Order: sequence, then structure tokens, then C-alpha cells
Amino acid sequence: MKLEGQVALVTGASRGIGRAIAEALAAEGAAVAVNYRSGKEKAEEVVAAIEGAGGRAVAVPGDVAEYDQAVAMVEQTVSELGGLHVLINNAGIADDALIYSMEPDAWLAIMRVNFGGVFNCTKAALSVFMLERHGTIVNISSVMGERGWTGESNYSASKGAVNAFTRCSAVEFARFGIRVNAVLPGFSPTDMVAGLMDKDGGKGILKQIPMKAFASVEEVASAAVFLAGPDSSAMTGSLVTVDGGVSTQVGIGKPL
Amino acid sequence: MADVDSSVKEAVVEALALDDDEVTPESTLMDDLGAESIDLLDILFRIEKSTGVKIEASDLGDYMQGGIPDDEFSDDDQVISAKGAEQLHKVMPQTNPSDLEGKLNADEVMTLFTVQNLVDMVKTRGDGAGG
Repeated sequence: MKLEGQVALVTGASRGIGRAIAEALAAEGAAVAVNYRSGKEKAEEVVAAIEGAGGRAVAVPGDVAEYDQAVAMVEQTVSELGGLHVLINNAGIADDALIYSMEPDAWLAIMRVNFGGVFNCTKAALSVFMLERHGTIVNISSVMGERGWTGESNYSASKGAVNAFTRCSAVEFARFGIRVNAVLPGFSPTDMVAGLMDKDGGKGILKQIPMKAFASVEEVASAAVFLAGPDSSAMTGSLVTVDGGVSTQVGIGKPL
Repeated sequence: MADVDSSVKEAVVEALALDDDEVTPESTLMDDLGAESIDLLDILFRIEKSTGVKIEASDLGDYMQGGIPDDEFSDDDQVISAKGAEQLHKVMPQTNPSDLEGKLNADEVMTLFTVQNLVDMVKTRGDGAGG
């Protein structure tokens, strides 16, 4: 196991990609703090699943959009699990709308969670990592941060900010032994993108993906575990796409 | 506590990727050794790890100003007052108050800070923390 003796904090870990990452980190031997904002019961299910598989985990409440709560999450993780070595900034929300009809403050609400959460948790964990001169941070971003999609301007902008912040923090923290990378999923079947699947069960999207398959939450998680662990020891500032190739092509890569 | 003199020197040498003989107690961190803000941060975290004495980057300015209010430490143009120069001489004994009073800008105080001054500060803080 590659993360034996390490402690990881995963934000937004009660479901979706966050849950898959929490369980995958635990399977590599890490003790995991399972952060949730409102899904207490679901977070406790994740903790139970990890413990059932022989791992260690605790549920940690907190809204990543609030810096004070991010600090409390890090403190609880360190006090209950004995340290902090891996931070997975996964918590995120979407609130799709056309710019024309978007409420003027809708961009800020998304930005506060998706980018603010990354900033707050990174800053909160930083002094622990700097003192240890060791730590890995994996930001769960999106290919939408590098490309455009109708109705996702607020989400896309927030993920673009996460990608830029990933690069800057990688540069600033490198000398302290802290690596920062991002995973950019394309379309992964979670509650957050359920709306996109409504139309035709996602067929219209599937046709546009070169691999003709959605990236499963487990596939996203395995990239996150790789970036969190020793196998990626020379990687920092990388934006790793896990998207079946969808963001690598021009248009849909062929004539319609 | 680990030997402060050697801990501070080691922190400076490693954070700035210098050779051992390039760092003397008299070297000023910023002017002589070229330290920038991120280097100072690195140095302070290395010192905390080796000695257990925690110094925030923001503590450096407060330490040098010694609790003297801004409007007494320097004049309206941010130039160091006689009282300010006296205080700076306490924490940086190598300075001559008459060279600073009415001449040094408050923003430039840090440029006079030497490796030995940092050693003294760590020792002071370590005693205060019971370390």
C-alpha cells in the first residue's frame, strides 16, 4: 500500500467523486477525513465503508467556502487522525444557466465554493505541510476550466481559476516539499451532472467522447490517488485530464 | 533547544542554496544574501522545525519596531525618528543610530537585518516560550 501511515482530508467526500477518492485513498492505507457540508449521514456511510474494509476514517463537518471552517476541518483532521499529508480539494457545486438569464450574483456563489474552497483549504493546510516539508494537494477541477460549454460559464470560470491557482501554488510551494496537481474530469456520472444526462440518457454526450464512455468516479479517483502518492513524485503543477479524450479533440473529431 | 546559531545558519544556507562559507553572522539577509519574502518564509519554517521556535514573517517588523507606535517610530515621510533609531540599535547592535535617524526609510529597516540579528531574535523568542 502506497499511503500507509499518511492522513488525507477529502472535501465533499460524502458522495460522487469525493467518496470514490476517499475510499481509494483508504485502500492504499491512508487514514481519511471525510468532509461533508450537509450530508452527515452519507459521510458516516463512507466512514463505515472504509472501516468495514479495515481502514481508518472520520467524518469532518465544514463548509469549504468559509475560511474559519476550513481551518477547523484541518484542526479536527490533525487532532483525530494524527497529522495531515494529503489534501484533496474536491468539494464543488454547479448551477447552470445561460449568462443572459443568470442572476448577477450566481457567479460568485459558485466561485465561493469551487475556487474559494480550494483557496481556503489550501491555506488552512499549508502551515502543517510547510512545517513537515511534505504534502500533496490534488485539486479536482474540470475540463470545463479549459474549454467552454453552453450554460456553464460560472462553473467553467471557477474551474479555470482552480487551474490557474494549481499552477501558482505548485510554484510557490515546491521548495517546501509540497506538490500541487489537478485532475480534470470530463463527464463523470455523478449527481452534479445528472441534468446533462436527462435529455437522452447522456447518449448525445457519449457520441462526442472519443472513448465512447464516461469516466467512472473510480477512474477519476485513481488519477487523484496517483497524484496524491509517491508514484507522481516529480509532478507538480500538472493538469491531468480524465475525460475519455473529449477535451483533446477539435469539435467532435470527425464530420457530423 | 537545538543550537540556535547553527540552526539559523543551516536554515539560511539551505533556503537560499548557498555555500556554507557564504553565510556569516554579519551577512544581511536581503542585501548581502539576496533573500526575498518567500526565502524568509522558508528560513522561518526551517528554524521552527529544527528549534521549535515559531516566528511569523509578520513578527519580524513588530520585533524591530519594539512596540513603538508608527507615528513615533518614523515621521510623516516614513523616515526613522531618533526614538526609532534607538530601538533599531537595540535589536540590531551593529547599527549606529546617528546613521539611521532622519535618513533610513521605515520600509528599508529589514535590509539591515543580519543572520546574527535573526539568531538573537530566535533566542529571545525561545526564552519567552520557555524553550
